[in-house]
Amino acid sequence: MFGTTNRKISICLIAVGIFYLILSFRLPAYAYVPIDSDMIPIGLGFLLLILAVFLFFTNDQKTNDNDERIPKKELPIVLGVVGFIVCYIFFLEILGFILVTVLFLFFCSMFLGYKKHVVNGIVSLAVPILIYLLFDSFLQVQLPTGILPF
Amino acid sequence: MDVFQGLAQGFQVALSLDGILFVLIGVSVGTVIGMIPGLGPITAIAVMIPITYGMDPAIALLLMAGVYYGAAYGGAASSILLNAPGVSEAVATTFDGYPMAKQGKAGKALAVAAIGSFVGGTISVVFLTFFAPLLSKVAVSFGPPEYFALMLLGLTAIASLSEGSTIKALISGVIGLMIATIGIDAQTGTLRFTFGSPHLMEGIDFLVIALGLFALAEVTSLILGRKNKMDDMHNVGSLRLTKEEYKEMGPTMGRQSVLGFLVGVLPGAGGTISSFLGYISEKKLSKKPEEFGKGSIKGVAAPETANNAANNGAFVPLLSLGIPGSGTTAVMLGALIVLGIQPGPLLMTDHPDVFWGVIASMYIGNVFLLILNLPLIPYLSRILLVPRPLLISLVIVFCVIGVYAISFSTFDLYLLLAFGIIGYLMRLLNFPAAPLLLAFILGGMMEQAFRQSLTISNGSLSIFVTSPIAGTMLLLAILSFIVPLIKNRKAAGKENIDKSA
Repeated sequence: MFGTTNRKISICLIAVGIFYLILSFRLPAYAYVPIDSDMIPIGLGFLLLILAVFLFFTNDQKTNDNDERIPKKELPIVLGVVGFIVCYIFFLEILGFILVTVLFLFFCSMFLGYKKHVVNGIVSLAVPILIYLLFDSFLQVQLPTGILPF
Repeated sequence: MDVFQGLAQGFQVALSLDGILFVLIGVSVGTVIGMIPGLGPITAIAVMIPITYGMDPAIALLLMAGVYYGAAYGGAASSILLNAPGVSEAVATTFDGYPMAKQGKAGKALAVAAIGSFVGGTISVVFLTFFAPLLSKVAVSFGPPEYFALMLLGLTAIASLSEGSTIKALISGVIGLMIATIGIDAQTGTLRFTFGSPHLMEGIDFLVIALGLFALAEVTSLILGRKNKMDDMHNVGSLRLTKEEYKEMGPTMGRQSVLGFLVGVLPGAGGTISSFLGYISEKKLSKKPEEFGKGSIKGVAAPETANNAANNGAFVPLLSLGIPGSGTTAVMLGALIVLGIQPGPLLMTDHPDVFWGVIASMYIGNVFLLILNLPLIPYLSRILLVPRPLLISLVIVFCVIGVYAISFSTFDLYLLLAFGIIGYLMRLLNFPAAPLLLAFILGGMMEQAFRQSLTISNGSLSIFVTSPIAGTMLLLAILSFIVPLIKNRKAAGKENIDKSA
């Protein structure tokens, strides 16, 4: 029954729609507001359900020009980069922008197979410092300093 | 003072040594700022305000006009070269700009964008000069029902013209509208779908979604293709356009200059809607619509021309009524007030030098943009020569900074990553991302316009039909769906007949 991709997506979307509708119906109502804040969300929730049902009965598209599937061999690389990004975000405010960005640029590029370590090191050092100066003195935007004194 | 006398006075200011120097500085600084994801014309102008303190107002405005044009072009450059639209106006440029860069025609794409911006900017300034008072009257007559209908038309048009399944495009649009409902409701103050998190109270920022769905999702493709030589990509290609190419994009630019300007005059519509409408209308008119999305010159020329024309159109309500029509003109309004000038009906009589100076500076800014940027294209395109692994890391860093510099919260950065993954899944499952983004941008305004209309009419939906302008636009919105559906049916029917024969 759930054989085609469209049917699987449709079931997921119906679940999202129902979840959204439950939340919408639970929004507080106000007595003297002619059009309350739950009206549009409820309408959108039902609209999504209707469209998902339509999708359920639509045949899958056969032609897929640009196949975006990740080959099994590449999966650890992609997940590794996602892991790098999570670490980057996690340590950004703790260690500070410059330090974390230098480490991220250097090791992420190396992880992806960049072998010119000297060039990598120069770029990894220069870019964060330039960005920091640009934001700090020119745009007046304070990026997290972290454990570094400046 | 008549138009020509005014213009002559304006040019006197704009063509002075100071004037030329500051337009030049503005254009260069603007281009650099505009290329950084997240920093668009609004930020660029806002950054310039403190620098203009104490400057002669007319000269200060020249500097800003330069920054404004430069930033818009810089945004187009990062869309074309990196598929990273920094601002919503530049999203439509990625559709064909990035495929062109992939095919080794980055130079051409950037040249088309520069010429398109120049043509759109110049033609619309001429309109601005002559039709400003007349057009502002039309824009004033737009109420909530008309706005709602206009925005709905913009949305249905993009959904019906997306590649692949219309239902998927519609689902994408509805999800965009749903995301837009997150946060405090502007009319009642109710917290909606925030799950108790203070980070979601103000809703999700546009940049989180744009950079996630477009730039971060692209990172996956970059990772998969990092070992491919990408010889084409390394080749910036010639900037020279052939006679045929000029002929091809000439009518497009002419049409989009007018259309973009008209859309820009309507407050709130602005560059984003006009660039999408421009792209879509050209695809509709084209004899080879299948080329769009695969690196069509018209696909770059249309949104760039329309968006620049709309940006100038937005100056009509600002200069003649003192009402900003877009985010950028709102910042401009702030800048003018800081300089001690109150835009509005009296601006032309009280400060003719400023009024005409702004208009003259637009002519000059456009010319400088073209002169400066065409020779710079080979240098801008060198971004493509950066080795893949390094480029991937840099794109990620730019996305992270773009979001962090606006929100200062790591929560938004995790959201960015989540939207990157959603963006990748959408590509995998053939869901177009553009309807989601446009729906998200328009969602808040659409909901307000819809509810205001119903409040005016005491809950009756007839208000959308009784207004002739709103009614016509709604009819067009419905037609924009039905026509492609009938066409598809006919095509499918023909195929079946062919097969059975």
